[in-house]
Amino acid sequence: MSESLRFSGGTSHEVTVHIDGEPMRCRLGETVASALIANRVRLLRHSPRDRRPRGAFCMMGVCQECVAWVDGAWRQTCQTSVVDGMAVELDRTP
Amino acid sequence: MNAPIASTTAASSADVAIIGAGPAGGTAAVTLRSRGLSVTLVDEAPLPGGQVWRALPQTLKSGAADRSPDRIDGDKLRGALANSDVDWRGDRRVWSVMRDPQGFRIDALGPSGTETIRARSLIVASGTHERTVPFPGWTLPGVMGLAAATILLKSQHVLPGQRVVVAGAGPLLAAVAAGILKAGGEVAAVIDQNGALDWLGASGAMLSRPALAIRGAGWVRRIVGARTPVYRRHCVVAAQGETDLASITIAPVGANGAPRPEGRKDLTADSLVIGNGLVPGTEITRLLRAEHRFDRDLGGWCPVLDGGGRTTIEGLYVAGDGGGVLGVDAARAGGRHVGETVADDARAVANRSERRPTSRRRPRFGAAMAHLARLRPAHVASIPAETVICRCEDVTRAEIDRAIDEGADEVNQIKHFTRCGMGPCQGRFCGDIVAELLALRQAGADDETTIDRARARIGSWTARVPIRPVPLDSLIGDFDYADIPVPPPAPL
Amino acid sequence: MTADYDAIVIGGGLLGATAALFLARGGMRVALFERGPLCREASGTNAGTLTMQMTRVALIPFALEGHAMWQSARDWLGHDVGMVTCDGLSLAFTEQEADLLSDRAAKRRAAGAPITLLSPAEAQKVEPGVSPDILLAGHCPVDGFTEAYSTGKAFRVALLQAGVAVREHTPVDRVEHEDAGYSVVSDGKAMARARRLVLAGGVWIEPMLAWLGVRLPIKTLINQLAITERVAPIMRSVVGIASGLLSLKQYPNGTVLIGGGWQGIGNRAEGGYALSPEALIGNVRLACHAIPALRGARLVRAWAGLEAETDDALPAVGPVPGHADAYVCGSVHSGYTSGLAIARHLAAGILGEGAGPELFPIDRLLRQSAPNPTRET
Repeated sequence: MSESLRFSGGTSHEVTVHIDGEPMRCRLGETVASALIANRVRLLRHSPRDRRPRGAFCMMGVCQECVAWVDGAWRQTCQTSVVDGMAVELDRTP
Repeated sequence: MNAPIASTTAASSADVAIIGAGPAGGTAAVTLRSRGLSVTLVDEAPLPGGQVWRALPQTLKSGAADRSPDRIDGDKLRGALANSDVDWRGDRRVWSVMRDPQGFRIDALGPSGTETIRARSLIVASGTHERTVPFPGWTLPGVMGLAAATILLKSQHVLPGQRVVVAGAGPLLAAVAAGILKAGGEVAAVIDQNGALDWLGASGAMLSRPALAIRGAGWVRRIVGARTPVYRRHCVVAAQGETDLASITIAPVGANGAPRPEGRKDLTADSLVIGNGLVPGTEITRLLRAEHRFDRDLGGWCPVLDGGGRTTIEGLYVAGDGGGVLGVDAARAGGRHVGETVADDARAVANRSERRPTSRRRPRFGAAMAHLARLRPAHVASIPAETVICRCEDVTRAEIDRAIDEGADEVNQIKHFTRCGMGPCQGRFCGDIVAELLALRQAGADDETTIDRARARIGSWTARVPIRPVPLDSLIGDFDYADIPVPPPAPL
Repeated sequence: MTADYDAIVIGGGLLGATAALFLARGGMRVALFERGPLCREASGTNAGTLTMQMTRVALIPFALEGHAMWQSARDWLGHDVGMVTCDGLSLAFTEQEADLLSDRAAKRRAAGAPITLLSPAEAQKVEPGVSPDILLAGHCPVDGFTEAYSTGKAFRVALLQAGVAVREHTPVDRVEHEDAGYSVVSDGKAMARARRLVLAGGVWIEPMLAWLGVRLPIKTLINQLAITERVAPIMRSVVGIASGLLSLKQYPNGTVLIGGGWQGIGNRAEGGYALSPEALIGNVRLACHAIPALRGARLVRAWAGLEAETDDALPAVGPVPGHADAYVCGSVHSGYTSGLAIARHLAAGILGEGAGPELFPIDRLLRQSAPNPTRET
């Protein structure tokens, strides 16, 4: 399951984003949420009340399920484009 | 939102402000500019196009040009806007909209901090968000909206999963399934809440838009060609998995849209994309206290509009699906029409003449598609008690039922009793379902006419600022304590 | 068809609901009229702060008693309304604020509030999240907060159990003063009669008193509030500033509520129909200045609640002059803290117990009486 879910485009604009410290290859132009899905990372956080697993749901900035700690701030990863060297922390409490 | 800290608020003004740069808002902007009015166009995305005409980032383009109608139309709009002197403000999160003596005041967070835009007239073209009728397991990673899948496919060139089940109602079903297949992905099954007869019922309207009907036929051809199993008159009743989707359960649905107990079937899939129609984004028109009405076929609560897109508030207009879900063609036509109305009204004000009344027919194609994707009361009634309704606060149907038992008799009271709708999505995903659950209880029936009357009485969440969550850091910027305008001390 | 009661309470906020509850528990047959759901105006939308350090000196004894009532709410109300008892800090960032803080702390202390002054280092021990920029802090161990939005749910159950006829969604058109008492007219129909009447309508006590021809001007304050999404623990006390223009606390669920009475836009008739972006930003800046870690949170919701204020900013609680057995109960600043005690004392007074119902007599506030519309027509 190492192959990504990307279906077109070259690799000329590749950047590296760190997910919980692990490097992840992304394409410039992708949002963090898309890049995570493309790399089959789907568990992004746990719901604050019942601690149930959650992943990106609406991809258009509405549902807030894909919020993660990105470069020191809470960001909606579906609305945040990848930048080389970006640090993403998933499932940060709460 | 990549908003660095700024210490000052930039202010600007225009004849017309437009919120939302999709087919409706973008077209309205071009129309108004051609009539000589100054226009500020604001959107959350970095480029115009909205959801349907969303741009593919330059860096993701492959050798072969994308010739899909949506991409062509979107590029055309982006070109027209680039060649106009519309004041384009992308990457802006509008967090407050209010009336002010000059007309309207919009506050947004942008790349250089907070901005205030004032305009005599305001067009809200904020589109829709997707509705999902909850089922056990719908909160699992791997389950996402049909509209979400569309964004992944069209603007990110990413498949939603390895083996995808496409489910729900309306025209997005076929579009998404065909899109996955075209991209080389695997569609495990298509689960359509409607049956062939329902689609046949809509076929008359389809003939009114042959180009769209042909496009739809192309999608169907691709699905059939791939021998993808299509379950008509079925719906998803559960999704299973530990930390990730592993399988789903489907069931046949009755004539009222509710799943039946018999004939259930499990399907293996790592991805479920599902949507049950679209809901107009009425946050801004509700915040401004325009009148709204409940119209199930148009997606639920819609602002009351005349034929020219005028709301009940002077100077406030709505264009596109935010006024009722009618689809992209209607949104584009509506954008042009509302743009003309606003320009006519501005001239009428300047000449102190009567505003011209306008009228417009409801487009048949869009109406037929929206009807197929309307919320079915019996489907909501069938939601099991343990199902999470409010994703943000993990509020279950059982808790909502208990609140109703305890005397909550309108939606805002259910919110206070349960915290349902108090989370960061601000009630957008649970609001429609909560109101439907309350209507079902109050009406004691599940036919649409009775439920619609109850829904009209029950109302919807009170709209609040911020219109979307905003990081405090970006909102406050840099400041000196001495510059905070602290009011004088309260009496002792 | 009208029903006869011993007492009718109009206004289902905290004051009206408390008065109705204790009147019913005192043996009276009580009807409570509320135009919307219970406790959904100021009583359900306020910051829920139970602090001595924003309370008027004259109200301190009631605030202490009210705080104790909230602490024991599970016993007498059947629901704790999410009550949290914690330390309260009032901060000073400038010399001027430090002077104000010292002066106000002394006066409140003299009235019975156990407030002491802390150095920045001592304040940081109480609240590790506090800004290092403070010069001085007032500290009070009697502080805390509730989930104000749960107030109505709690009172609804208690009132029904006490046998109160709860009439939600029943706006009152007018009250007629008849020989035998008062008759309540709603939607053009006489709905209930009683010998005693309690008007507890928050900012609406002005139009309510006008039913009886009594003119008591009430200013409507539009207090803005804002709340963040759930965040990791960043503070553990109620934090305010010397001037009283901040109230800040983190709920056990992680949300942080920012209040302090910054003014929004609205009026009594239309409610708080818009928030002032400048006031919201100012309020949030002040909050983030006090607790710097708050900067990392996201704002999810802001709203405005209406607060009543009399000419002298003190309550209007007592008999209505010229109208036997009619009472008014309102305009209690920081009423969420002291209101419970004040309304209970009023109920006791009406029941003929305690020191009587003349808590904050309204004669001092009255203007020349308006003509009595019910008597003339």
